Amino acid sequence: MPGIMQYSPPMEKLTIDTLRTLAEAQGLELTDTELAALLPLVEAGRRGLAAVREIPPTTEPASQFRIL
Amino acid sequence: MTELARMIAAKNVSSVEVVQAHLDRIAALDGKLKSYITVMGESALAAAKAAEAAVHAGADLGPLHGVPMGLKDLYCTKGVKTTGGSKILGNWVPAEDATVVARLAGAGAIALGKLNMHEFAYGPEGLNPHYGTPWNPWDAKVHRICGGSSSGSGASVAAGICPGALGSDTGGSIRLPSALCGISGIKPTYGRVSRAGVLPLAWSMDHVGPMCRSAADCALMLAAMSGYDPRDPTTSVLPVPDYAAALTGQIKGLRIGLLRSFFLEGAGQTQRAAVEAAAKALEGQGATVEFVDLAKVTLGPAASHAVLAPEAYAYHEEWLKTRAAEYGADVRERLRVGAFVTGAEYLKGQRLRTLLRDEVDEALAKLDVLLAPSTAIEATPVGQNEVRIGSETFPVRASLIRFTRPFNLTGHPAASVPCGFTAEGLPMGLQIVGRPFDEATVLRVADAYQRITDWHTRRPPMAA
Repeated sequence: MPGIMQYSPPMEKLTIDTLRTLAEAQGLELTDTELAALLPLVEAGRRGLAAVREIPPTTEPASQFRIL
Repeated sequence: MTELARMIAAKNVSSVEVVQAHLDRIAALDGKLKSYITVMGESALAAAKAAEAAVHAGADLGPLHGVPMGLKDLYCTKGVKTTGGSKILGNWVPAEDATVVARLAGAGAIALGKLNMHEFAYGPEGLNPHYGTPWNPWDAKVHRICGGSSSGSGASVAAGICPGALGSDTGGSIRLPSALCGISGIKPTYGRVSRAGVLPLAWSMDHVGPMCRSAADCALMLAAMSGYDPRDPTTSVLPVPDYAAALTGQIKGLRIGLLRSFFLEGAGQTQRAAVEAAAKALEGQGATVEFVDLAKVTLGPAASHAVLAPEAYAYHEEWLKTRAAEYGADVRERLRVGAFVTGAEYLKGQRLRTLLRDEVDEALAKLDVLLAPSTAIEATPVGQNEVRIGSETFPVRASLIRFTRPFNLTGHPAASVPCGFTAEGLPMGLQIVGRPFDEATVLRVADAYQRITDWHTRRPPMAA
């Protein structure tokens, strides 16, 4: 197991059309104005996450299923 | 609350008088404060009469017997509407109480009413387009934010129209209004208090806790609320300590870490000076203080986006498809962002939480508590979106949650207590973070600080 898990470089920039397709696929009907307002918020979130490129492979998600 | 409970039990004052006095203050002050969505006057007075009768009958009294309190309007209350600060649930009446509501009632507390909040708890300013935005009682002239989402809880406790209140905290929603309204509040460890019957914002980051005028009152209320609940599988089976007994005033030898980079260095000059002075005051009581840096807190915004946004979206998905127009514009937009977070991103966010939690645990292996400012800024006027800190401009929202959100991600207990006032007379908060399930030490430090300062005893102009 490598010492560090590398995440790929960030995806290409989102567009309003991409966002519309993603929204429609989930049953969300959004106007162009609404999509335009969402775009920078979604992009900022993705940018922040994409900037984190390295996480140790032994790091498990904080939410884990517990039966007790 | 502590004093009220003692006086009621000693028959120095009757719970009917206490409840009536608070209802009178609500009638006189809340037209402007807008801290209540629903006032439960009739049921509160009926409960007060029953409480008074129990005192006279010599019955066993709970620790909060006859003491009134407010409930943030996302706690389910049997037979009383629970709106979540929304229009969507404007007429929803739950069939049963939230676990903590039932536990507080079992301890003798009397519900005065349901308190205003940011719609569905999704906002740190405490705004509300449906029921009016609560007014921060520390400025009678300018309509300033109370901090949110538990804005009604902050305003009502500060203004003295309820002695204590329930808040909830997903990114700082107990600590922010506590700081901005000059009161004391604690977000307990994740799993310490049941979330059953509490409308969720983000299941894995939501915390339930008290907001009061002092750390001692928080201790009293937290003890009545805490403990395992089969209705909430994330609650811990660990026993609940006697928090009031932990308030010894003694902190000699306690090891305190003062969070420097990101926290002190990211705060406004006044907030920084107030927290440094608080650390000095605690040092004067025999604690040792050293600077600590948490490098991974910079991961907080990314982790929060990845986790909070999709969890909130998942809860609201159906309403966003069928009743979107009924949301306030800010919350609707914020909720929709969660639709665009992938499963892989969500789990990346959860992995970042692990890294952050490990780092805080590591710091607390050598220290008993960590100190930081609760917020980078003081209460801003409603409608102001940006603020200057030093030579830079920041969004108000980000500046509010910057120092509190990391501990929602990690689940550590964290309190906010008043630690001073700005030149404009606006309160500031000191954040005290402890080890998991060690609320007792957090409260002990908060109480020790309040024994040597009087910030928490000051009352806002609108309380008069």
